[in-house]
Amino acid sequence: MISQSKKVLVIFIILFNATINSESILIKNVTIYDGKNNNPFVGNVLLDGNKISRVSTSNLRGDKVIDATGKILTPGIISTDSEIGIVEIGALSVTRDDSSDIYEIGFSIYDAFNPNSVLIPWNRSNGITSTITLPQNTNSPIGGLGSFFVLDSNLEITGIKDNVMIGRVGGSGGESRAETFSIMEDLLEFASSIDSKDMESYRNLSDLIVDSPIAETMELHPRDLKALHRLINDDLPLIMKANRASDILKLIEIKEKYDLNLIIMGAQEAGLVANKIAESDVPLIINPINNIPGSFDELAANIELASNLETFGITLMFNAPRSHNYHLIRQGAGVAVANGMSYEGALKAITLSPVEIFKLGKRGQIAQGNIADLIIWDADPLEPSSMPEKVFINGKDIDLTTRMSRLTDRYTKEKDKPNGYRN
Amino acid sequence: MTKLIKYCFLIFVCLIEAKPFESTYEPLPSENILIKNANIYDGEGNEFQATDLLIQNRKIVAIGKDLPAGSEFLIIDASGKWVTPGIIDIHSHMGVYPAPGVSTSSDGNEATSPVTADVWAEHSIWVQDPQYALALKGGVTAFHILPGSANLIGGRGVTVKNLQRNTINSMKFPDAPHSLKMACGENPKRVYGNRQQAPSTRMGNAAGYRKSWIKAEAYLSRLNEYEAKSDEAKEMGYKPQRDLEMETLAGVLRGEILVHNHCYRAEEMATMINIANEFNYKITAFHHGVEAYKIADLLAENNICGALWADWWGFKHEAYDMVQANIAIVDQALGGKGCAIVHSDDAIGIQHLNQEASKALAAGLRAGFDISKARAMNWITSNPAKAAGIYDKTGSLKVGKNADVVIWSKNPFSVYALVEQVFIDGATAYDRESNFQPASDFDVGIISPEKNRIEE
Repeated sequence: MISQSKKVLVIFIILFNATINSESILIKNVTIYDGKNNNPFVGNVLLDGNKISRVSTSNLRGDKVIDATGKILTPGIISTDSEIGIVEIGALSVTRDDSSDIYEIGFSIYDAFNPNSVLIPWNRSNGITSTITLPQNTNSPIGGLGSFFVLDSNLEITGIKDNVMIGRVGGSGGESRAETFSIMEDLLEFASSIDSKDMESYRNLSDLIVDSPIAETMELHPRDLKALHRLINDDLPLIMKANRASDILKLIEIKEKYDLNLIIMGAQEAGLVANKIAESDVPLIINPINNIPGSFDELAANIELASNLETFGITLMFNAPRSHNYHLIRQGAGVAVANGMSYEGALKAITLSPVEIFKLGKRGQIAQGNIADLIIWDADPLEPSSMPEKVFINGKDIDLTTRMSRLTDRYTKEKDKPNGYRN
Repeated sequence: MTKLIKYCFLIFVCLIEAKPFESTYEPLPSENILIKNANIYDGEGNEFQATDLLIQNRKIVAIGKDLPAGSEFLIIDASGKWVTPGIIDIHSHMGVYPAPGVSTSSDGNEATSPVTADVWAEHSIWVQDPQYALALKGGVTAFHILPGSANLIGGRGVTVKNLQRNTINSMKFPDAPHSLKMACGENPKRVYGNRQQAPSTRMGNAAGYRKSWIKAEAYLSRLNEYEAKSDEAKEMGYKPQRDLEMETLAGVLRGEILVHNHCYRAEEMATMINIANEFNYKITAFHHGVEAYKIADLLAENNICGALWADWWGFKHEAYDMVQANIAIVDQALGGKGCAIVHSDDAIGIQHLNQEASKALAAGLRAGFDISKARAMNWITSNPAKAAGIYDKTGSLKVGKNADVVIWSKNPFSVYALVEQVFIDGATAYDRESNFQPASDFDVGIISPEKNRIEE
């Protein structure tokens, strides 16, 4: 009897959900920054299921209507460089899943991703709707695979597994950067020599490793080789962390030689070699608020970096140093604009550009047929004091409650009760 | 100085000790200035629209409408612009953790013993740190440099003017009191616990502070006993031997040195208040205080400031319970009697304290508090000045105070506001339009010989 009624309830819930999902949502009379051109216009956006079904300046009809007069609509903001989902508390190693002792080049963090991380609702309520999450750098100059995750908190992960490789070159306090470049080139040379057929056989890969001095020295595993192979043959994006002007030039040379899909991150001295970066069409991930000459590789750090690079037509994306508040890339973008970058460019750098460079699917732009990852803002999204009023991920209107909003309520309401007995 | 020596020599027993490390600060050349028609946040919680500010002989002499000024005054038309007091950061490690962050200049933590009350941050400062000039462009006119938080008692902090000079003494804020850095929680217990020595627990931390204060009390009573003696008796008896560690702690017990206490968790802050009561000293401010909002009333009752970030969290377990309304809740404790400070602890953050205050204010408004921008401006001006013990000299645009003034292109609570001019003691220290800005020796010719580091 009980199981009978449970079944009915389950069916009811399924039906109920289905009706909700099929209910279209109209965001009406909103000021739209589309993520691509970012020439604002007042219009209406219709969401159907997980998609944007119409964008129009003329009247549309929807099952549910949100009047957003005077509000700003942008695509959801996309993180390109976070630890969201794999590091909960920085100083607590038991909550860190961002490194491996054994694997270097082929180390994937995908299976460690925790959709229930507290960082997700917090960043989401501040406008981040998806992230490329990256492991720590390994001892190998290239290696470690990042993945793309949609921040919908579903335990069934939506994302793209191992869609980017990372690497690093620069002053390290260890060996010369010349050694780093040599290892990188040897690895790429080795990877170029591998026949695609060998990729199918674990045995063959193991044999190849034993035969290669660099692979043996680096103690590579078959999964490392597979990742390297993707770099050479599948156009896998490679994010290299580098700052010094000379390092950037050398990376461009390697990119040209091996036809790599290179993205440079950090790039504090990019302004000194901007024409070469533009010529080679290398996108950059920079933190526009970081003007600290934090190392001898970053002496040219400058608050006008973003503005300077924009004039060369270089594709820019932004990052923020702390994943717990990754949403502060909005503040960074605002600072970039204050120091000369175009508003349109700054907004594109945190919405559409990551999608185009990392091929993240039909998102990052408010256009018909795209996935409905959208934010309605209470004011200018590049003002750090602004907050989303509504966040849609895959067309779903997300509850913006966070652990932080709960704690705030605990200590501003019901203060007569002991805190343990408050909501 | 020679006079002092002569005086000491003449009376044989020298009653006045020569003070080493005293400030030798001298301001830049200045003019008398009338800033006309500015929108002003005065750092005292007031906002004035289209108002004039008069600076004469390095001091603020008047604030009001249509102020008259003689022909010798430099007149700056600030129509549509905003004017605030110079921004003050109560928590900086510039100079002791300079840029570039290399091990040879990493001088902020004397992490060789959990109690190092004898060390002074000012003796670590690298005066050529290129970060000071960056902070100046963020409107920062004075900042408080602290030792790090590895130790229970980390040593003395120092307040400096944001004018890069070739000696530390010439940067020191004249007559600013010394401070003492103390630290709760994870850092000291991790640093020393990892070495299998005390403290390795929070209770070990508490025992460490208390043992030190017990020694300091005994030292102070010996010192008081000696000082109460007649001149003859002093000559006959032994002067207690100087002890650098005890001099600092005794300075706290005498109320001369201000305690700045790194502490995250609510219950640890409450424990530190207990310890302060046990040994009868005052805590001036808790720094970082991610959980300050949980005990905001207790802080206000004890007249302790919360020097806080707008939003940092999660890097440690003790920094996990962040709420963005933290600063607003501390500010509004006991019906607005709280003392809230936005601090940076960061060479990037110090350049944008106005934006940090803006985030904290916005979170406070969302949490239902009624706080004006003019009041929020106090969080980065008068309140840190109070906590640094320099409020009688700076931190607000009160008549008679030092003319430490910032002109902003827009309302400083906007991310788009840029600092246009900074005056320290009435002298132009930065002028965006004419590109008048300092460069430290480090910046000179370091990328290409003929240029400074970030020259356009």
